[in-house]
Amino acid sequence: METKTKSRVLQEFQEASKTLMNPALKKEKDKGAKIIGYFCSYGPAEIITAAGMIPFRIRAIGSTGTDLSDAYLSNINCSFCRNALNMGLAGEYDFLDGLIVLNNCDHVRRIYDNWRRKIKTPLVQMVSLPKKISDPSIQWYYDEMKIVKKAIEDKFNVKITDDKLREAIKLHNETRRLQRKLYDLRKKDNPPITGADTLAVMVAATALPLKQYNQMLKELIDDLSKSEGVGKAKARLLVIGGVLDDPEYIKVIESTGGLVVTDVLCYGTKNFRAEIDEKMKDPIAALAKYYIADRPSCPRMFGDQLRRAQLVKDLVKEFKVDGVIGQRIVFCDLWAGEIYMLNDDLKEAGIPFLKLDREYIMAGAGQVRTRVQAFIESMGR
Amino acid sequence: MIVGGCDIGSTTGKAVIMTDGQIAAYSIVTSTTRPEVTAKMAMEEAMGYLGLVSMDELDYIVGTGYGRLKVPFAKENVSEITCHARGANWLCPSVRTVVDIGGQDCKVMSIDNKGKVLEFVMNDRCAAGTGRFFEAMARALDCDLEGLSKLALEGKNPAVISSQCSVFAESEVVTLVNEGRELTDISAGLHNSIASRLSSMVRKVGLVADVALTGGCAKNEGLAKALENKLGVKVVHLPEDPQIAGALGAALIAAERVQQREEVGKKA
Amino acid sequence: MSKVDKAILDKQLERLRGDKTLLQAFVDVLSMDPSEEADINRFVLKTVMDKYDEIMNCAENDIPFMAAYFANCPEIFTAMDVPWWIFLQTPFLGVSSPFLASDTDETEKMGLATDFCTVLRLAMFYVEKNLTPKPAGLIALLHPCDGTVVIHQAIGKTKAWHDVPVFGADSPYWDDERTYKYYGEETKRMVDFVTQCTGKKLDIDRLREVCKISNQTYQLWADYNDLRKAVPCPHDWTIGPPQCFALACYYYPGKIEAVDWFKKLVANAEKRVKAGTGMAAGERIRALWFDILPIMWQFDISPWLEQEWGVNIVMNMFGYTPYEPIDTKNETTMFRGLAKRSLSQVPMIRQARGVADNFLGDIERIVKDYKIDCVIWPGHMGHKDGNASIGMMREKCRELGVPFLSIGLDLFDKRYTAIDEVKDRISKFFQASGLGQKK
Repeated sequence: METKTKSRVLQEFQEASKTLMNPALKKEKDKGAKIIGYFCSYGPAEIITAAGMIPFRIRAIGSTGTDLSDAYLSNINCSFCRNALNMGLAGEYDFLDGLIVLNNCDHVRRIYDNWRRKIKTPLVQMVSLPKKISDPSIQWYYDEMKIVKKAIEDKFNVKITDDKLREAIKLHNETRRLQRKLYDLRKKDNPPITGADTLAVMVAATALPLKQYNQMLKELIDDLSKSEGVGKAKARLLVIGGVLDDPEYIKVIESTGGLVVTDVLCYGTKNFRAEIDEKMKDPIAALAKYYIADRPSCPRMFGDQLRRAQLVKDLVKEFKVDGVIGQRIVFCDLWAGEIYMLNDDLKEAGIPFLKLDREYIMAGAGQVRTRVQAFIESMGR
Repeated sequence: MIVGGCDIGSTTGKAVIMTDGQIAAYSIVTSTTRPEVTAKMAMEEAMGYLGLVSMDELDYIVGTGYGRLKVPFAKENVSEITCHARGANWLCPSVRTVVDIGGQDCKVMSIDNKGKVLEFVMNDRCAAGTGRFFEAMARALDCDLEGLSKLALEGKNPAVISSQCSVFAESEVVTLVNEGRELTDISAGLHNSIASRLSSMVRKVGLVADVALTGGCAKNEGLAKALENKLGVKVVHLPEDPQIAGALGAALIAAERVQQREEVGKKA
Repeated sequence: MSKVDKAILDKQLERLRGDKTLLQAFVDVLSMDPSEEADINRFVLKTVMDKYDEIMNCAENDIPFMAAYFANCPEIFTAMDVPWWIFLQTPFLGVSSPFLASDTDETEKMGLATDFCTVLRLAMFYVEKNLTPKPAGLIALLHPCDGTVVIHQAIGKTKAWHDVPVFGADSPYWDDERTYKYYGEETKRMVDFVTQCTGKKLDIDRLREVCKISNQTYQLWADYNDLRKAVPCPHDWTIGPPQCFALACYYYPGKIEAVDWFKKLVANAEKRVKAGTGMAAGERIRALWFDILPIMWQFDISPWLEQEWGVNIVMNMFGYTPYEPIDTKNETTMFRGLAKRSLSQVPMIRQARGVADNFLGDIERIVKDYKIDCVIWPGHMGHKDGNASIGMMREKCRELGVPFLSIGLDLFDKRYTAIDEVKDRISKFFQASGLGQKK
């Protein structure tokens, strides 16, 4: 099954997902734009945009190995972190003017310590992310956002005004609305776009100048609304799990005849399920509320597992999903636990569930294919 | 109705031909490096037993196994997980847990009374619990596979092999041999360690009797015994060579397809 | 009498009773040794057994008790007179060693990934199989690692504990006043939770008394740590950081028994320092073992290190807790002091939480103050953040001019890296570094 539209825009999205730097981003950089990288969904990208800079989510696509990072991280650390740090050490991230790291997990939080000692990014800033959802923790994150804002202002001699923040929020919300529209097209019995291509589109949002991205995505949605479906899928799948930024992985899953129609992923549904409240007077308060309370949480958020499981069940209904695939990068404790807990919830709800371990760099396609194929067959399809 | 199933594994290729719901012929050939060559060899050997000359004489062929995408004459490919489950169930309808031990991987399936897979767990990352492991151990004990199994059955005081990895287990075995441990005890220990691994996989999908072994290593009596001890239930013997379970399952699915087509044809 | 069905209760207390029996055997052996040192150790073992008794008594008589941690301001439980324990205690101590391997295998069958920290998997197993008595409430520890955040959510889904109320105090990443204030407030909420679960209230004056005693304990601990700087170090592997941690942080936080014990410990150490008495085998290498050493590993590694290589682990992660006395002026200062203690000053938490500068600073301090010859990072498989710091540790040690060894093992599963393999690596390391040569 293939996305039938020959949209030029889709090709650009696909290219952006295959590399770190892409032509559009390079153009901006050459014009003098500053790029600030961030390591996790809790970003916050809006503050970077409000500073007049381009937010760039850190990936390790195209990494050729970990021989540089092996001196710092061990072979029982997450391969995403190992490869990302390696690319940093190899100079592939020299285009960054700043980097924001959050303590979202044990592996990433040490990236901060290693990166600032070894890689010459002008500003390397850490954010302390709460571990639960409560009024005090929202307030904590609010204060952390102010600290980050000030750090960027001081380092780059810019002023991030409330108005600029409001504009940035509007821009990012626009992205969210468009992405939601894109996903809505996949509710159809014969969706016009594959899961692999959708992931490419979602990843591209974190690597392209956003105004441009929104324009392109509008065009793509128009295209897709008029195009043919990808074909009859053997099974409609939902993928959930840890950081997944490589459309190749979804492609392998879909080579079995299954079609990924939705997801609960960092680069997926989580980004647009909720929106930032544009009516709140204090834009930073709006950010804090969105990221901590409203956005579907990451497994690191204690006490929210039932809500996370409910999201999966809701999406299964909304998108008429036949089976759920849970994937995690080996050595990830958070997703090991989340998948372990979700297993009970899905069993209870009678939703078929396949659990996969993977490495960040795509390997063992045949093995993934066999498991997914057997999974689909066991659903009687 | 004549249908065929072709199971292309890393070590052997198997083909089963069924006519009117019965096994008419089967073959087991050593795999070459090219799956499409292995498939042809296996299929043609089985066809030879029936005097068949061309693939066209079969109504439908299904391919399975790790080389299943490279079986050019197969109309369809199905995962070996589904096929082993179907095959084992057809051979012995009381089977509810299938333990398949192949050349390079091993898997456990929990199935229903129709042979449909309910849950499965696979180890295709390492050699522990696979044919490769037994080959390596047979070498270390200087015997053949059958000999290895016989030794295990005689072991009175099985050695404890602690290494999970077959490479390190081999070192352990060499040490034990040098220390003068009885070969019977060493072999029994090896079988126990594999049975432990397999029983762990069984418990992950849930142990439901009857349990059957499929795949090349299923013919290892020592392993069957060791597994019975670990699980506390008897391992049933399949009435045909357990190594053909995958190809048999593929043939059964081929038969189903032909049936479905006929029914659709009738309605039209 | 407990409302819980007797058969179920017996199963829940089975492992605790087994542990007690094993510990009693140690106590009996020590009773044959009239030395002061044996006496010091016997008290620690008795303390551990008393904790088992306390919890079993609660379980058998329906007295509410909490499952909590030494990193959640334990002085508060003392002040509220609430019985509590670390339900990880049994697998953590590794005393149930006959069962450890098979229990670990069971966790794999449960479906928990094998790269998940073993001690947490074991804790999960104990709850899933109802092999541990049920508390009136669970304080979820949310720092320092991911594993602990996960396990306390997963526990809430087990059949046995799904109805146990849970509270987690949110712990920020920094070590500054803002952080301590925030965590102090979270701790106040924890107090309310404990009251809901047990009916007991917190009296601020009582808390003041408890904090004063806790301050005394920590002062004595600091005095003892100072004495360990002597060459040779006054105590061998049988007395040191693990016992100090156990009594100060877990068994007697803010209780006079800890003060009395530490006084004896300090007196004994002083005597030995004056006489220049070190460990019997003769100290040739002063090592920093930068992790914890659960009991069963102690027995496998420590005697061998002493006899084979003359190694004295003069400091390890259990023992290094530079601290600030809790200011007992008022409620706010006490909660802030307790917060600082639990986030920045208790062992293991101190080193694993927060930015790398924390533990790198510790390594530097310890190497200098304790005249350390080498630093060993055991590399427990559960410490994902620690293992992501090996490069930085290595560089720090190079800067300090001491050799550094990273091993890679499972502190709770000896099959991960076999003891012989560990000994081999350590031996090669000492040989290559020219350490431990007999004079």
